[in-house]
Amino acid sequence: MKSYKLLKQTSLFFTYVALILFSLMIALPVLWTLRTSFVNEVDAYAMPPRLFPSFTFDNYRELFGNDGFGEFLINSLIISLASTAMAVPIASLGGYAFARYKAGGNILRFTVLATQMLPGVVLILPLFIVMSRLHLSDTYLGMTIAYLAFNLPFLIWIMTGFFASIPKDLDDAAAMDGLTPVQSFFRIILPIALPGIMATAVLSFIFSWNEFLFAIVLSGRNTMPIPVRLAAMKTRQGIQIAKLSAGTIIAIMPMVFISGFVKRYLISGLSLGAIKS
Amino acid sequence: MSFQARYRMIGYQFLIPTFLVLLLVVAMPLLFSLVLSMFRYTFLSPRLNEFVGFSNYASVVHDQYFWNSVKVTFLFVLMVVPLEFFIGYGIALMLSRPEIRFKSIFYFILTIPMVMSPVAVGLIWRMLLHPELGVVNYLLGKLGFGYVNWFGDERLALFTVTLVDVWQQVSFMVLLLLSGITSLPKEPFESATIDGANWLQTLLFVKTPLLMPIITVALLQRVITSFKTYDLVYILTSGGPGVSTDLISYNIYRTTFMGLDLSVASAVSYMLLIVILAITVVIFRSTMKGNE
Repeated sequence: MKSYKLLKQTSLFFTYVALILFSLMIALPVLWTLRTSFVNEVDAYAMPPRLFPSFTFDNYRELFGNDGFGEFLINSLIISLASTAMAVPIASLGGYAFARYKAGGNILRFTVLATQMLPGVVLILPLFIVMSRLHLSDTYLGMTIAYLAFNLPFLIWIMTGFFASIPKDLDDAAAMDGLTPVQSFFRIILPIALPGIMATAVLSFIFSWNEFLFAIVLSGRNTMPIPVRLAAMKTRQGIQIAKLSAGTIIAIMPMVFISGFVKRYLISGLSLGAIKS
Repeated sequence: MSFQARYRMIGYQFLIPTFLVLLLVVAMPLLFSLVLSMFRYTFLSPRLNEFVGFSNYASVVHDQYFWNSVKVTFLFVLMVVPLEFFIGYGIALMLSRPEIRFKSIFYFILTIPMVMSPVAVGLIWRMLLHPELGVVNYLLGKLGFGYVNWFGDERLALFTVTLVDVWQQVSFMVLLLLSGITSLPKEPFESATIDGANWLQTLLFVKTPLLMPIITVALLQRVITSFKTYDLVYILTSGGPGVSTDLISYNIYRTTFMGLDLSVASAVSYMLLIVILAITVVIFRSTMKGNE
């Protein structure tokens, strides 16, 4: 019995060691970038590197000053919010139709899923041509609409899961009380599904914020979001490691912060809602 | 109209906005792309007046760079997915032990890469893995290893991209498998213990088979997303050195916006589409089974 306990303690010890090592591997690159964002350019590429050679806000000050990073942040914010705001109501209706009415049967559901599997590069070329012809490239409207191409299918897929988990009796009771299907959706079902829908909206916001392919092709001077701006900085990174680090931190911090609110949905969202939590 | 048909009609009403939008931003572009792939259409002469049938497809099939991209993409998927699965499963099993404390801290750290833009991930690792100025080579040097040219060496570059992708995506595997493990029923494990099964036997013959549905979903999901990988390569290597990391999505992007040949790019897109569609059929079947 004693040796069993010892064995268990040892295995627990090694489990902790492995988990801590793994967590460090994940966290250290981000922490190092955070550190680099607060040192001056000379120290940023000094070899050998020192842990805390200097401390300065200059990188951030410069990014928001001369480089106009505030503008790119606002672009990102507008596009992500607008696309989410457009996608969520449409996806709620669509998800409800799939879950409650089995509309379109499996074939239509399959089509929506398949849409989500589409590689962006396949869609971006024709979208680019169409947007240019309609003079919608480099406009918020054009980008918002284009972002629906990846936002909508993913949202519908998750929301179908949400609505399927709401008992059908509620609809039947509403119908008994004389509510039309549309009334029953807005008055009974929607309030119940709201927390889930809000969380999904946050996910959609994160996806839009991080989107790069659609952004680099469709944006221009007026609408450039953060990732495109960051990617453009890489050519000069040899001399601007500190500034680039600061830019990267600016891009990821808001997402890390809001992801805390949707932890529960993060996984089911990213796994296409294929699993029920 | 029968009750059933009326019921269906109500459902379709809710679907109208979805339909319209998907028609506009997905179906029409796809159709347009199909048309493009059968014409000679370039940035310099953007007109649909020279029908060429399937000859663009033929030229893709005879293009060595296309086949290189196919090879590179398959290699990438075949490295990334198993690596993520084995590391992810291992970590998930450890995290699922009830004795482990501070779980929420581990979860928090795990979610960070998942919510990061691949552009940010790529930039961070480009800095860390810079051959002269990067911390990684400095630390390796301290440990007595020689200089590693992470992105400059043709034989190493794809592996480096793989490692960076694993760094970002392994958390997804961990958290997905973990959610599966924690929702497993208790009884099979109790009876396995009574039967005298050891830790490894329980894992191989009880736990893993029970987790199979979720493992399938996780693997297929990662196969599909890694097939589409584009941003990382754009930031880390631009497909190089040479064409050693020229993943298919990046290849299409290059042909479109640098080679300016829209028709050929559309043809490659369609060939990629067929592969993805085939995989989707598999994933759909397996998730459908899981839901019944």
